[in-house]
Amino acid sequence: MSGAHLPPAIPRISLTWLLVAQALVIVPHLGHLPLWVIGLWLGCAGWRVQIFRMRVGYPTRLAKAGLMLAAAAGVLASRGSLVGLDAGVVLLIAAFVLKLVELRSQRDALVLILLGFFCVVTAYLFDDSLLAAAYSLLPVSALLAALIGLQQSRLAMRPWPTLRLALGLLAQALPLMLLLFVFFPRLGPLWALPNPNQALSGLSDSMAPADIAELSKSDELVFTATFNGSAPLRPQLYWRALTLERFDGRRWSQAPQSNQPGATQWQPSGQFWDYSVIAQASGRNWLFALDVAGSEEGGVQVRRDFSVQARQPLDQPLHYRLRSWPAVLRDADRPISELADSLQLPAAGDPRSRAWARELRARHPQPDALVQALLEHFNREPYHYTLKPPPVGVDSIDEFVFRTRRGFCAHYAGAMTFVLRAAGIPARVVAGYQGGELNPRGNFYTVRQFDAHAWVEYWQAGQGWTSVDPTFAVAPERIEQGLEQALSGEQSFLADSPLSPLRYRQVAWLNQLRLRWDDLNHAWQRRVLGYQGAQQLQLLQHWFGRMDGQLLGTALVGGGGLLLGLLALFLFKPWRRERDPLLRQFRRFERMLARHGVPRQAAEGPRAYAERAARQLPAQAAAIRVFAQAFEAQQYGAATLDAQALARHLAELRRGLPWRVRLIAG
Amino acid sequence: MLAALQPRWQRWLARRIPAASSVTLNQRRIFIVPSASGGAFALVLLLMLLAAINYQNSLAYGLTFLLMSLFIIAILHTYRNLSGLTLRAVAATPVFVGEQGRFRLRLESGGREHQAIALGWSKADLQVLDVPAAGVSDAELNLPALARGWLRPGRLRVESRFPLGILLAWSWVDLDQSVLVYPRPVAADLPLLTAGADDSEEQGSRALGQGSDDFQGLRSYQPGDSKKRLHWKAYSRGQGLLVKDFAALAGRDICLDFDTMSGDVETRLSHLCHWVLQLSAAQQAFALHLPDQQLPLASGAAQREACLRALALFGRSP
Repeated sequence: MSGAHLPPAIPRISLTWLLVAQALVIVPHLGHLPLWVIGLWLGCAGWRVQIFRMRVGYPTRLAKAGLMLAAAAGVLASRGSLVGLDAGVVLLIAAFVLKLVELRSQRDALVLILLGFFCVVTAYLFDDSLLAAAYSLLPVSALLAALIGLQQSRLAMRPWPTLRLALGLLAQALPLMLLLFVFFPRLGPLWALPNPNQALSGLSDSMAPADIAELSKSDELVFTATFNGSAPLRPQLYWRALTLERFDGRRWSQAPQSNQPGATQWQPSGQFWDYSVIAQASGRNWLFALDVAGSEEGGVQVRRDFSVQARQPLDQPLHYRLRSWPAVLRDADRPISELADSLQLPAAGDPRSRAWARELRARHPQPDALVQALLEHFNREPYHYTLKPPPVGVDSIDEFVFRTRRGFCAHYAGAMTFVLRAAGIPARVVAGYQGGELNPRGNFYTVRQFDAHAWVEYWQAGQGWTSVDPTFAVAPERIEQGLEQALSGEQSFLADSPLSPLRYRQVAWLNQLRLRWDDLNHAWQRRVLGYQGAQQLQLLQHWFGRMDGQLLGTALVGGGGLLLGLLALFLFKPWRRERDPLLRQFRRFERMLARHGVPRQAAEGPRAYAERAARQLPAQAAAIRVFAQAFEAQQYGAATLDAQALARHLAELRRGLPWRVRLIAG
Repeated sequence: MLAALQPRWQRWLARRIPAASSVTLNQRRIFIVPSASGGAFALVLLLMLLAAINYQNSLAYGLTFLLMSLFIIAILHTYRNLSGLTLRAVAATPVFVGEQGRFRLRLESGGREHQAIALGWSKADLQVLDVPAAGVSDAELNLPALARGWLRPGRLRVESRFPLGILLAWSWVDLDQSVLVYPRPVAADLPLLTAGADDSEEQGSRALGQGSDDFQGLRSYQPGDSKKRLHWKAYSRGQGLLVKDFAALAGRDICLDFDTMSGDVETRLSHLCHWVLQLSAAQQAFALHLPDQQLPLASGAAQREACLRALALFGRSP
């Protein structure tokens, strides 16, 4: 025991598990780590293995300091900073890797294991999908196995029993973890932290037609929506994201003031839809809503242009609830003088369209009639819906309306808005998404980037804003069935994603599988990732009718105690003790003698006890000895087990004992 | 402050875990607290919880809660690893001052396997062993014997951190173990008295000591033998440590008397011890007179044990 004062060394099994765990921890980070960290990791792992094989020594103090400085310099070079989440994670991983080389004592190993757990948490900030969560059980198990491997026991010297014990412990911890997950109070962020930078795509606040064509190539998830109660039909699913009011002759963009919170004139009435939406991270504020939406939630606001916005840009998925009244009037009594933005046109350009608008206005003084005439024009004349329109020149509207006549939603919406404005009718382009895929298993709509759409709304006194979709006049199948059907003639649907499962919707089993997977992910997002303050409040109120600190405390303490009690029963199996037939008979013997004033003392062996009892109860000495000898012979000797015989001896003893007379020892 | 609490703690411990030759660890006797590693683990859990709160990340919450639950259930596992273990003292053989008192004990499993059980007299010096399921493991713990008399090691620390090392379950058990420590034998020339010391006729023949020519033969070395009498030639031939044995006055009865010795009490006892060993090795009968005890003339192993015991416990409570 002279080595007791040296720090205990790291057993081989623990080192093996540490190396495995380190690889498993780093793999999910590979996507966002600079290459040199991976090189550093491989070098350090190799070095550590060579140290273990006694081929090379531990790094000197100087080498360690040099490596640390080099790592910090590397982070500075590849991330431009040493603070912030991205740099912080690289620095953490570099420390995790470097710690491996100087791994010498058990304390070092503990530090490495704890760093490993923290690295797993940082990986969640970059990817919190179902698969990532399931994967993370691997590094966690390996880290636990390494922790067990630090113990100086025979078990910890064998790799598989160590891992089995780690998995067993994890399984036993699971019920308590679920309890904590549901009932542990969720707090808002204590201080603001930036989320990891991710390349985000989606709508932008200014739109040229080509942008929407670009989005149509992507099958990336934008949001999912679940309706409670009645749900609208697919052609009614116009998900408004933002309105584009400013036109510069080429691009439509958002007017700054439409983005402001402000007075909107409308009264909720009539039929409504209740639904909840989980919007994916977009880096933008705008959310997705059916007209006309209202929200009670603090983080969600309705803006002047009836779009719905979050207070913070979405750097992680947001779950929100809305109620929409589709039949109400919007801004019906607003003076037209406040709608100057919706009449803005470039000073010059597109002369034929302007002339045509004046002509239409003369023929149809009522805005409704004019709009109808426009739609009929799009429907009657040879317009085509295509994602591959021919290029247009400077007067883009004129070229489209009178020459090419080929385009998609953004072309039709832009052209129609231009003509309406030229005819003196306030109008604007609405950008958002149309439709979505109903998942029959989970009964929710999945909306992807290729559902991006643009349509038009125009204003008239007394009626307010009315939405109209010129694309419907050209290609009703786009609205009724979706983009894929609308493009069935030209093979351009998801042309850049040959492997997207959405391209194979006609393969029935593949499509079933895809829908199931979507459903699973939706449930994951809704039930697990979205389980924050508001959802916790709602769920617990639904279950218990209330939600306060007392409920949480009772549930955590009571439920935790119950689970621990059950686990203790499972671990200690108190019924097992009595299951041994010999011992059960001995306990009866003990109780019988105790009733007659001879309780067994702590740590008194059966023989000594029987002898003492025989001395104190001389009348029964023979019977006591017979029982004790039979018991000993069966318990320790080679005699065959026969609890029946013991029971017979015991019965004999009881017959001899006086009837419930407590003998006074003395 | 801590030192002032020590006696109170000892008294409490004595009430809670009374001394017994066999102790089974149970919930009365096992204490459990987080270890230093457990403290570090808890700190990392706190950091993880902060990350989960600040990034509103459900998975970070999930992993934090999983490890938190693991911490809690590890209490049961660490406790279970000690619980049901029976420690039994095995009789220890006496030693001489300056040797290591060797305390043997047997660890019996009540059915379960017990992993990485650490045993020792102090926290700093622990011996680690496993106890197989429904089996036994033997351990030997040493403690230097510094003074004659009963060597009582005090309470034995039993601890375990298995399986995760983040919790420490321990107990201080008193197995009522003791080892008798004989005085250190120190060679010396001694006046020898016959049993009838008052016989005036015998007074001329009392001188007997080393250097006597009455060489009787060789016998194997016993602790306490004088180095001067080692038979180095035999040792160099590989016959082991032999001692030249000299006959005492044949036919005389020898009495070792404390009062005839010189020096302080311990020196006298050491010298007497030496002679008890010498004479017993020579299978000579002798008597031992101590101020508080008289051992009559006898020879053999029983006499040797009785005399050594009397010397060890001289002036001490038995």
